[in-house]
Amino acid sequence: MALLELRDITKSYGEGAQRVDALRGVSITVEPGEMVALVGPSGSGKSTLLAIIGGLLTPTSGSMLVAGADVAKFDARARSRYRRDQVGFVFQSSNLVPFLTARENLLLVGEFGGADRAALARRADELLSELGLTDAAGQAGNRLSGGQRQRVAIARALMRDPSLILVDEPTASLDSKRGAQVVEALRDEVHGRHKACVMVTHDLEMAARADRVLEIRDGLLQVHQAAV
Amino acid sequence: MLAIREMVRRKLQFGLVTGVVTLIAYLVLMVTGLGLGLNQLAGTALLALDGDHLAYSDRSNLSVIRSQLSEAQVKDIASAPGVKASAAIGYVAAAIEYQPGEVETAALLGIDLGSIAAPKVIEGRSLTPQDRRGLLVDRSWASLTGTRIGDTLQVPVGLATEPFEVVGVADQGSFFFQPAMFMLRDSWRTVSYRSVDRETPYASVVLLQGGGLDGTRGSGWEVVTKDTAFWNIEGVSAQQGTVDALKYMGLLIGAMVIGVFFYVITLQKVALLGVLKAIGASGLYLTAQGMLQVFLVSLVGTVVAAGLAVLTKATVLSSDAIPIAFTTGAVVSTTVAVVVAGVLGAALSMRQIGSIDPIIAMQQQQ
Ligand SMILES: Nc1ncnc2c1ncn2[C@@H]1O[C@H](COP(=O)(O)OP(=O)(O)O)[C@@H](O)[C@H]1O
Ligand SMILES: [Mg+2]
Repeated sequence: MALLELRDITKSYGEGAQRVDALRGVSITVEPGEMVALVGPSGSGKSTLLAIIGGLLTPTSGSMLVAGADVAKFDARARSRYRRDQVGFVFQSSNLVPFLTARENLLLVGEFGGADRAALARRADELLSELGLTDAAGQAGNRLSGGQRQRVAIARALMRDPSLILVDEPTASLDSKRGAQVVEALRDEVHGRHKACVMVTHDLEMAARADRVLEIRDGLLQVHQAAV
Repeated sequence: MLAIREMVRRKLQFGLVTGVVTLIAYLVLMVTGLGLGLNQLAGTALLALDGDHLAYSDRSNLSVIRSQLSEAQVKDIASAPGVKASAAIGYVAAAIEYQPGEVETAALLGIDLGSIAAPKVIEGRSLTPQDRRGLLVDRSWASLTGTRIGDTLQVPVGLATEPFEVVGVADQGSFFFQPAMFMLRDSWRTVSYRSVDRETPYASVVLLQGGGLDGTRGSGWEVVTKDTAFWNIEGVSAQQGTVDALKYMGLLIGAMVIGVFFYVITLQKVALLGVLKAIGASGLYLTAQGMLQVFLVSLVGTVVAAGLAVLTKATVLSSDAIPIAFTTGAVVSTTVAVVVAGVLGAALSMRQIGSIDPIIAMQQQQ
């Protein structure tokens, strides 16, 4: 069974003359263990699509099945739980809590409920060492370098072992060597733990590292590009 | 815990606002204490009387100063239905010379021995029928002026003064902002009216014990509760009104300071809170964290202020001359009031936290 299945998703912002059709019927299927890159020009609907998959926006029409459940029908509370339990989101800006240390930023997700704190503490140490952050673990969020911050943000997204990893322009703030490392780390996680990953990027070099590249223009998916 | 960690790591901001709350709560507490202290000066002696009602002459407008009752009226009142015990009390304010050249106005209360109006003596002895020139003085006044048992005070009788001997000390407090002193009612009549005959008033008011007496009237007299009597002491209501206005102003300022502080730090954190929601924090969790901070800031501020206020009273203001008093009830209720004011002040920001849209997590650029 597909982990993520979008069927004919549309999203319009505003009404009447101000109406913008950001997505005009998008259908995507992502299998466990698959990393998909989403590319397209600015304004084409990439962020909108990612927000819908991540439960931050509800589609205007269409359905979205995640592990069989139609997230598009969830109410606000169920969406909050869905984001907490099934989605690991890495935003364009790392958005760490500035007054918490790297490690505390990871442990924070344990406060949102529904998790075993001791297991999370072990998981935090594991992720810190996997991502080369052991030395930075005690540093406050606002003292970390850009690259460290981005890696902490990735670790935070992986803390609760989500089935779906969503990444918005992860490498925008990194040089290409660092960027490649970050994408490699994500790829290992997706392949090793059978997660599904959707990564928005306009860096074609990064996109080439994904299993599949989807291109979106004016709210519509283009014919498949070559897979790697 | 996110809320506590933030407070610890941002000590300056939270320390400052807690400090300001402390100052405001201190002010509110001192004003409350002043109100209590002034009320004590106004009428502890009245509140301490062992009865629940007072009878006044009905043209006195519930003023002990203006109330005058005849012997017939006092008997009439004592036999009114529902009265279990009664005691005639005379009141007059008089300038007492307690040391050569040192004069202070005292509330002279004339009482009958053995009646419910007779005060408890805590030092020295009670008055006896022979003590026509004897006095019981107030404890704190005695310690303030250095007056001791056996001392002689000059009490004005007509245009002259007469020596009265201090035979004992009572702890009834004060009356009309003057220290209460007790003498035999017969002596009070001479001090008050100089020559005494059948036309001379017999008492100022009558203290009563009994049920259902409130509102009872007779020929030229009326009965009210002791509470009503207290609030009708000249100045008490106005003074309490002023104190209350100051107190509410302080609480309002406290609510606004806490409200503005949390409004500002919430605004600063909107993006961060949006991100936390986007990664799975519920609005309830984030609001609870905010509430915890509001609660801690106002509670810690007020508790420190309460400590400071009690300390101030115990040290700088320990003298009985300064009318500031604290009761546990007043301190606790003021603390609760400040915390409630803080929570109300920050309510808007707390609602705002709950309604932040997590989509803003995606709208931020590096
Ligand atoms: N909140 C919004 N209100 C109105 N229009 C929006 C909003 N967000 C995005 N849009 C519009 O939707 C379209 C797609 O935007 P977006 O999903 O951000 O594209 P991309 O991420 O590919 O740049 C754009 O035309 C954009 O202007
Ligand atoms: Mg975008």
